[in-house]
Amino acid sequence: MVNSLKVEKGQGKNHPGFRRTILFLLGVIVLVPFLFPFLWMLLGSFKQEVDFMAYPPVWVFKPTLENYRNVFFENNFGTFAINSTIVAALTTFFGLLFGIPGAYAVARYKRTGFALIVLAARMAPGIAFLLPWFVLFVQMRLTNTYFALVTTHLIFTLPIILWMMIGFIEAVPREIEQAALVDGCTVWGSLWKVVLPLTLPGIAASGILCFIFSWNNFLFSVVLAGEATKTLPVAVFSFLGYQAISWGPLSAAASIITLPVILLALIVQKYIVQGLAAGGISG
Amino acid sequence: MTGRPLADISPSDSPSLWQRFVGVCDRNASWLMPLPSMVVTALLMVFPLFYLLYMSVHDWMLIGGKPAEFIWFQNYLALLKDQRFLDSLWRTVVFIILGLIVQIPLGLAIAVLFNEHFPGRGIMRTLLLLPMVATPVAMALIWVIMMDPSQGVLNYFLSWLGIEGIAWLSDNNLVIPALVLVDTWQWTPMVALICLAGLSALPLEPFEAAMIDGANLWQRFWRLTLPMVWPTLLVAILFRFIDLLKVIEHIYVMTRGGPGFSSETINLYNFLMGLFYYRVGYGSTISVVIFALVLGACLMLIRARRTSW
Repeated sequence: MVNSLKVEKGQGKNHPGFRRTILFLLGVIVLVPFLFPFLWMLLGSFKQEVDFMAYPPVWVFKPTLENYRNVFFENNFGTFAINSTIVAALTTFFGLLFGIPGAYAVARYKRTGFALIVLAARMAPGIAFLLPWFVLFVQMRLTNTYFALVTTHLIFTLPIILWMMIGFIEAVPREIEQAALVDGCTVWGSLWKVVLPLTLPGIAASGILCFIFSWNNFLFSVVLAGEATKTLPVAVFSFLGYQAISWGPLSAAASIITLPVILLALIVQKYIVQGLAAGGISG
Repeated sequence: MTGRPLADISPSDSPSLWQRFVGVCDRNASWLMPLPSMVVTALLMVFPLFYLLYMSVHDWMLIGGKPAEFIWFQNYLALLKDQRFLDSLWRTVVFIILGLIVQIPLGLAIAVLFNEHFPGRGIMRTLLLLPMVATPVAMALIWVIMMDPSQGVLNYFLSWLGIEGIAWLSDNNLVIPALVLVDTWQWTPMVALICLAGLSALPLEPFEAAMIDGANLWQRFWRLTLPMVWPTLLVAILFRFIDLLKVIEHIYVMTRGGPGFSSETINLYNFLMGLFYYRVGYGSTISVVIFALVLGACLMLIRARRTSW
């Protein structure tokens, strides 16, 4: 900002590097507590059970892959990872399928009322949707299906796609589209051939955010998923219940779940706050 | 409509069925296009809210085979006398106040810092995103490990300061602050990044003028930065308020409301009542009340924002 203007008198002029070093160190100090749990998770995932019991906690130890082996071979994490991927991918696909034309209509035909209803739904607690759907799915015998998971995940992913895509579509100059229409293209054709290619980065960003939110979701999945459709967050939670304390496998499982999300998040980092604001129904 | 296909105006007088279909779709695109998403929204989001209202006026257990019975507003009246609900409401208020007091100033401070120019700032901003996007359940469990009273690394750090044996999650009085700590870890970056967006959009001229007039850093913050960034800050407060009111996930994972009921917030009570004890009628009533609280709080904050301009 402002405090760093060159006109700053005093230390700014005399020690140009000093100020920056101090700021850099402050930045590091701020960041350490926010990153420490990740470090502890990774360290823990390579620790043996003995190292966990050590006090004071050990920082240097003989690493083992036993925890990861345990997670995949004794706790079936491969299956849960596939479940998570299927649910998140389907949620993202249907979110984009419904959301993009919806966003186009809001942007071009000014269907703002619709957009506001979707935004208002963001304020409702997740349970306000989950409870009715749970009752209905029980009556329809649809719990423990991908269908139940994908439909309920759409409740928080559709608003993300809709609200993010409105912005991206509005940024496409109308003139380009009008040129296509004059040349005999239909409105649908111009959405498909003009708007979609031009908003591809936006589609990728909102799609990836959807995937992340669906992947991370716990509350809806723990209620609606059964043994066959269990997703990763539900699976990692059961570590706490069934086995006494298996901290090593727990850390390994947490690392496995978190890693793909972090990689995806780095791609879409510019849009994360926007996505959270539009659809982050957390509970 | 501008998008009439050329085929329609060409000499061939009888357009094929397909061409007619395309023409109809094209002329009605303004409502055909949003239709699927509107239907999905109505079905997935609007309908369950009405069904929730319907459920909330019934005595309805999902197990036991007793049919749902219409009981007017008895669930709502029962709520007023439900001590467990009132306690959880109070606890939620404490949770919100603690959360806002810590997260808003901390987030703003971090934003002010990261608005300065220094080497490594870009990568640091990126790393700051990680707590928000990492799978919350997984990270909550890592916090359980770190908060272990006897082997946990948090108590190890505290022992450097001479503080020993904090029982974080099993101490009736500490469990709420401990959970606020986890919430703060996860969501302060959100506050910081919202504020950062606001700060970087501020005009430079007032600050230059203030500096020429000899205002010091402290004065510039209180007299210029804070008033100018206030609208953005209110947005951050609004978002945090809504989410703190609905806080549930990491509490459910870390303590399930325990020890006893000492970390049970309204949303968690709602969850347990409806989806754990299967008292779906009463659970719906609590959901309706929480939704009303969120909406009321939003309207209040939006009004506060209007008048502050």
